[in-house]
Amino acid sequence: MTAKNKLLCKVRQYYFAMVDSSLYLDSHPICKDGLAYFKKYKKLYEEAKEEYEKDYGPLDFENGIKEDKWAWATEPWPWEGSEN
Amino acid sequence: MWEYKKRLEYPVKIKNPNAALAKVIISQLGGPDGEVGAAMRYLSQRYTAPCNEVKAILSDVGTEELAHMEIVSAILYQLTKGLSVKEIKESGFDTYFVDHTTGIYPQAASGTPFSALTFQSTGDPITDLSEDLAAEQRARLTYDNILRLVDDPDVRDPIKFLREREVVHFQRFGEGLRMVQDQLDAKNFYAFNPSFDL
Repeated sequence: MTAKNKLLCKVRQYYFAMVDSSLYLDSHPICKDGLAYFKKYKKLYEEAKEEYEKDYGPLDFENGIKEDKWAWATEPWPWEGSEN
Repeated sequence: MWEYKKRLEYPVKIKNPNAALAKVIISQLGGPDGEVGAAMRYLSQRYTAPCNEVKAILSDVGTEELAHMEIVSAILYQLTKGLSVKEIKESGFDTYFVDHTTGIYPQAASGTPFSALTFQSTGDPITDLSEDLAAEQRARLTYDNILRLVDDPDVRDPIKFLREREVVHFQRFGEGLRMVQDQLDAKNFYAFNPSFDL
């Protein structure tokens, strides 16, 4: 696994922990453990995503500009399989 | 509104294209219990949900179903990439190919195009959430059947992830239904209380 892939894997895992716990929190909105879990992964996600976007390219369109180019459109798309 | 994140919720990396597998897996895109119908069902039902927590569950599960449409579509795309006409004919994929080449089109494995007749949005939260619970079980069993038909570990891996999510969504809809029932009139032991007349 390349360094790029490893970092994307982290971004994906942390964000998935947020998605899964957000569904739990929808029906348990004041659960202290659930809120702490979400906070923990939100922080990890933001750090990993920032590092990935700095080194490899945009995951969200608001960070679409990279080195004076609209990299959002020019970099590969996720269903291609090489890097998703 | 919505935003797109330029990555899959779960990775799809298929080394060996195989159109025969795409022919059955396409049902989980546009079939009677597929991801297109799941997303449309929850995102249609959410407006008339009776409490904020249930609106949240329908919005967030519906949004995740859009990500699942993308995963199933990525599986179909990679399974049908770079095939020869001979391979397409031998796999039985030719009946799809004639209409769509290798474009991704939401249909059932039988060839029936996706239809909104596969779901309801009734404005009655107990009716809608009962349908949602059944829908998650139906999608889970379709993934079980796909796992019975597919040996390739590259394909099984994301299918197993999608199957797990059906189980989690079922749990969350169960909690949503319980919330709605808890808010009903205590004398109403048939758990029937349409929102329109409230």
